[in-house]
Amino acid sequence: MIKLVDVCKTYYLGDEEVKAVCDVDLEIKDGEFTGILGSSGSGKSTLMYMIGLLEKPTRGKIIIDGQDVSKLSDEELSHLRNRYIGFVFQSFNLINRYTVKENILLPVKYAKTKIDFDPEKRAEELMKRFNIYQRQDFFPNKISGGQQQRVAIARALILKPKLILADEPTGNLDSKTGEEILDLLAELNKDLGVTVVIVTHEKTVADRTKRKIFIKDGKIVKKYL
Amino acid sequence: MASLNGYKDIIQAAISDFKRNKVRTLLTSLGITIGVLAVVMLIALGLGIKNYIREQFESLGANLITVLPGSGFSGGGFGAGLVGGAKFDEKDLRELERIPELKYVVPVFFKTSRVEANGKKEFAYIRGVNEDFFKLRNVKVIRGRQFNASENQSKAKMAVLGYTIAEKLFDNPDNAVGKTIRFDKQRFEVIGVIEKSGNNEEDLGVVLPYKSTYGGINPDKTFWGINLGVESEKDVEIAKKKAKEVLLKRYKEDDFSVAEQTEILSTINQIFNILNSVLIAIGSISLLVGGVGIMNIMYASVTERTKEVGIRRAIGATEKDILVQFMAEAVLLSALGGFLGLLIASIIVILVRPFFPLSINLLSVVITLSVSSAIGIFFGVFPARRAAKLPPIEAIRYE
Repeated sequence: MIKLVDVCKTYYLGDEEVKAVCDVDLEIKDGEFTGILGSSGSGKSTLMYMIGLLEKPTRGKIIIDGQDVSKLSDEELSHLRNRYIGFVFQSFNLINRYTVKENILLPVKYAKTKIDFDPEKRAEELMKRFNIYQRQDFFPNKISGGQQQRVAIARALILKPKLILADEPTGNLDSKTGEEILDLLAELNKDLGVTVVIVTHEKTVADRTKRKIFIKDGKIVKKYL
Repeated sequence: MASLNGYKDIIQAAISDFKRNKVRTLLTSLGITIGVLAVVMLIALGLGIKNYIREQFESLGANLITVLPGSGFSGGGFGAGLVGGAKFDEKDLRELERIPELKYVVPVFFKTSRVEANGKKEFAYIRGVNEDFFKLRNVKVIRGRQFNASENQSKAKMAVLGYTIAEKLFDNPDNAVGKTIRFDKQRFEVIGVIEKSGNNEEDLGVVLPYKSTYGGINPDKTFWGINLGVESEKDVEIAKKKAKEVLLKRYKEDDFSVAEQTEILSTINQIFNILNSVLIAIGSISLLVGGVGIMNIMYASVTERTKEVGIRRAIGATEKDILVQFMAEAVLLSALGGFLGLLIASIIVILVRPFFPLSINLLSVVITLSVSSAIGIFFGVFPARRAAKLPPIEAIRYE
């Protein structure tokens, strides 16, 4: 379970204080399929990266599995990102120097505690399931966008995380491929019980999720306009 | 990263990156290669010269003590004592022969002259010595024979020629034995030829029994110097002391000097050590420049891979993981450069060796490899820290 209590994030642009996210109280339960919907610049991505422990709030508390993460060291935060959270990005963010399979297995290199399953075998299962098994020795720039995003999802899932954070996962894909990716995320949520949070500015994408959170000017609002 | 898969993984990753960027990798490590090459070659040159000089001295015999006129080597500079001062004679020989530590006492009468034979006239170094000269100075007679004690006593007109002078006078040293040579209006029979030594003074030498020089060639019956030999090196100090005491009875302290070869050698070594340090310092500058080159490329590489750093951080890399990754690359780059430099230096040394005794010792290998790795660490740490400290979120958005 993820809980945000009175979370604020402010930036400084020169001397000017910019509130990216403010006064956010939010709870996401295990197994939820949630969409965070907001226009560009609304602070939805900042919110997501705070949940994803890539960014620290300037104020407030983030509690993951009952643990206040604001007091954690870099090692502990990295460990949580590695084992608890999986990221899916709009621009896929694969490393082009590595093959599909190497990309999927990359998080294993940063695992600091013992993994109680065979990551190689899991990578193969995921590639088969996502229909990219034939592409395992290809480099990311040699496969289609839809395939790249499936590689990214496989990478996110390799260490069996509880939470998938997807930032505009369909943003760089055509609508048909986008639909397929959303189907895949919905399926993961349903079949594996993974908590999925999708951040998007497209209402059609958010409509696929079970719960919608609207964000505007850094604040959660009741209704999306 | 290091905990589970070990450093092997990091090194493998760095090496596979290098393979994808062969030209840049080579150019980056070239700076270190040149630096290491310069340092190793300069050390090799220094060691080579030192070895060469030591070999020259060792061919004279390690347990050799030299008595020379003037204050000589033990005091001021070279050569200072070679003119003036004492002139030694047979009385000195007899006194010195009483010292029990001395195995050999060899007088050295020395002059230069033009030697005639076979219708030719050649410049030569004339040396009057006794029979022990050959043993004391490790002189090998390769044709004919050397003279013996009784031939010396009987003032036999015999000569043993250096290799080059024999060649010059008789075309081939094989023809020399049994022939007659003439100089200073005297005739000597050639009874032997000495092995070529590479030392001009020896190869152009004419070695005579010293008593045979008495009269026409050496009317004063004096010697330019006396060579002393001890049984083993541990006797050198005591023998030197006793020889000095004996000679002080007849001569003033400034008129003669008693020196062992190692003393002369250590003076020369000192000079070369200073020269070497200066050369190495100059070579090190190029190593430093190479290190700066690596730092430059590593900074570029960090910028180029900002997004990758962000991705790695998102999937669980700690700051330390990123630091180690970039450090490993910098250290490997400079170690590679160091290794290449060493390799090229070794090839040059092997190629030049037949002509000059260049030498690489283990110490210079260890020093250059550790210095180049240290340079990698030093110049790698700044770019690697920059990579590690990148805010993940900015890194991941970097295009």
